[in-house]
Amino acid sequence: MTTLTAKLRDWQLALPLALAFAALFLAPLLLLLGVTFFNDDRMTQPGLAQWAKFFGDPFNYKVIADTLLLGVKTVAATLIVGYPLALVFVDLSPRWQRVLLFVIVMPLLLSVVVRTFAWIVVLGHEGLVNTLLLRLGVITEPLKLLQTELGLVISLTQIEMPLMLLPLISVMSRLEPNLRDAAAALGASRWRTLFTVILPLSMPGLVAGCLLVFASSTTAFISQTVIGGVRLIYLPLVIWQQSLVVFNWPLAAVASMALLVSILTVIAALSWLGRRASGAVHG
Amino acid sequence: MFTRRRMLAGATALGGAALLPGIAHAKGSVTAAIYPGTWEDAYRAIVMPALKKTYDVDLELQPLFAVDEVAKAKAARGAPPFDCFVLDPGPRITAIEAGLFEKFDGKKLSNASKVPSAFIDEWGICVGAQVVGIAYNPKKLPRPKGWKDLLTDPWVSRLGITGFQTTFGTVSLIEIAKQFGGSETNIDPALVELKKVLSKIAAVGQPAAMPGLFQQGQCDVMYTNTQTVATLKGKGVDIDFVKPDTGAVAFYTTLHIAKGSDAIENAYKYFDTVVSTPVQEALTKAPYNFLPANKDVPIPPDLPMKSLDEMSTYVLHDWAKINPLRAGWIEKFNKEMAK
Repeated sequence: MTTLTAKLRDWQLALPLALAFAALFLAPLLLLLGVTFFNDDRMTQPGLAQWAKFFGDPFNYKVIADTLLLGVKTVAATLIVGYPLALVFVDLSPRWQRVLLFVIVMPLLLSVVVRTFAWIVVLGHEGLVNTLLLRLGVITEPLKLLQTELGLVISLTQIEMPLMLLPLISVMSRLEPNLRDAAAALGASRWRTLFTVILPLSMPGLVAGCLLVFASSTTAFISQTVIGGVRLIYLPLVIWQQSLVVFNWPLAAVASMALLVSILTVIAALSWLGRRASGAVHG
Repeated sequence: MFTRRRMLAGATALGGAALLPGIAHAKGSVTAAIYPGTWEDAYRAIVMPALKKTYDVDLELQPLFAVDEVAKAKAARGAPPFDCFVLDPGPRITAIEAGLFEKFDGKKLSNASKVPSAFIDEWGICVGAQVVGIAYNPKKLPRPKGWKDLLTDPWVSRLGITGFQTTFGTVSLIEIAKQFGGSETNIDPALVELKKVLSKIAAVGQPAAMPGLFQQGQCDVMYTNTQTVATLKGKGVDIDFVKPDTGAVAFYTTLHIAKGSDAIENAYKYFDTVVSTPVQEALTKAPYNFLPANKDVPIPPDLPMKSLDEMSTYVLHDWAKINPLRAGWIEKFNKEMAK
């Protein structure tokens, strides 16, 4: 009985957040789902016409696939750059760790719009990269970096990097330092220590970072449209066009549900993989 | 029991409450949506102080594109987030159909007689016109003659385009379509021709990103309105406006009162201030370069029109025909332009 009362008391503490979550997230989500079941943009005729329209068009499958692929590429790029940086971070003195942490967090202190427009200056036709390469004589014509998927992934890698690094650093800083020495004493090479000890133990941070970067990059409407341009079509652009330009809210709602379900599916798969990898180490 | 301290506290609270609105809003306020960029800058610098001076009304500006205004008002369902719209012809028709406007009575404006009678209707008032044509960088490209030039060298490899999301994008693509046998209701020829040169085109961007892309040299020629050209020029960008040989496009910009607004009287005062002679005169000057809606205001020589009567010589479009087709065009543009 006492345990039950204690549990109830815990729930009471969580109640304000639960209510806010229900009112500000669940209710709008249900409304969004409800809107999808209208045939017309004036929302007078109930039906499944917009579902049929969206999923009956092969172009939208390409858009979904491109959106998810963008997330995967960004996750891969942030991981390749971010993981070694996290390894360096844990070996630094506390003073240099504070400096590096400030550098890592700094992009979060800037508005996403500012960061995105800064990338136009860097990647543009007459931007920093092209000017530098031209002056060095590496290229004779400016490279097309802006409005390409490569340029978009490069910029998203920088924009989303803190989301990968912060959970990684948090987990890796808590790893027992003696484990590496123990592995070395037992004859493991540095690479073997990395792949069989550090990597599996840092898996919770790695998975958390991947989830955050994936969810954030697939929905990064401003970066996608400003840096990628409108020839690279991702689901957020379709949602924006249908809701704010064409005012076809039922179709926009269907596209939103498609985005939500696609992202949740990948996130569930990543979580499952992460749990399996952690289980392989601990269990 | 009432003590002296309690009495004083109560009196102070009551007095303070009565005094506060007087301090914050002399005779109330009005919230108006305004286009970001030149329109916002101009209205903040000229209309805001004029409204305060003439009517003692505070003006709060909400920077929003026309389509965003309509979307927000539709979503608000009778509790609009602003009191006044500023719209182009297409979104205006959408908003009328959606019942988003209060009925408008032009007689309530003291400056109504100074505005051409055709500029006032039952839904709102026209406060200016926008002219759309070609903008190019004269230091990097020769002057293009018309829409057709945009799809040929040397312009095409430096061309920046946008789709049908905005009024200026839509009318420009219609004009390009017309050069290849299309019409106001048939934009397919434009998409066919654009697709042929798509690999050469320098930028296909969001409308809001285009000035930035031009400024950064990502593209050196684009279709846009005279105000964007004036703004970029004011920032030191090398840019000139070209009236295409087949005619520049013009469309009216109108103000409307949002249905359910609780500041209708102040909205009329705002409209009256906007079309007043001193405000219209100030708006025509650099760096704003607005076309005036007031008959008493002379048009400066560097504007694309000599008088508002010239509007009839510009290319005008029937948005009642365009609006129903626009959703389909946006989807087509996505599919044809997608990588």
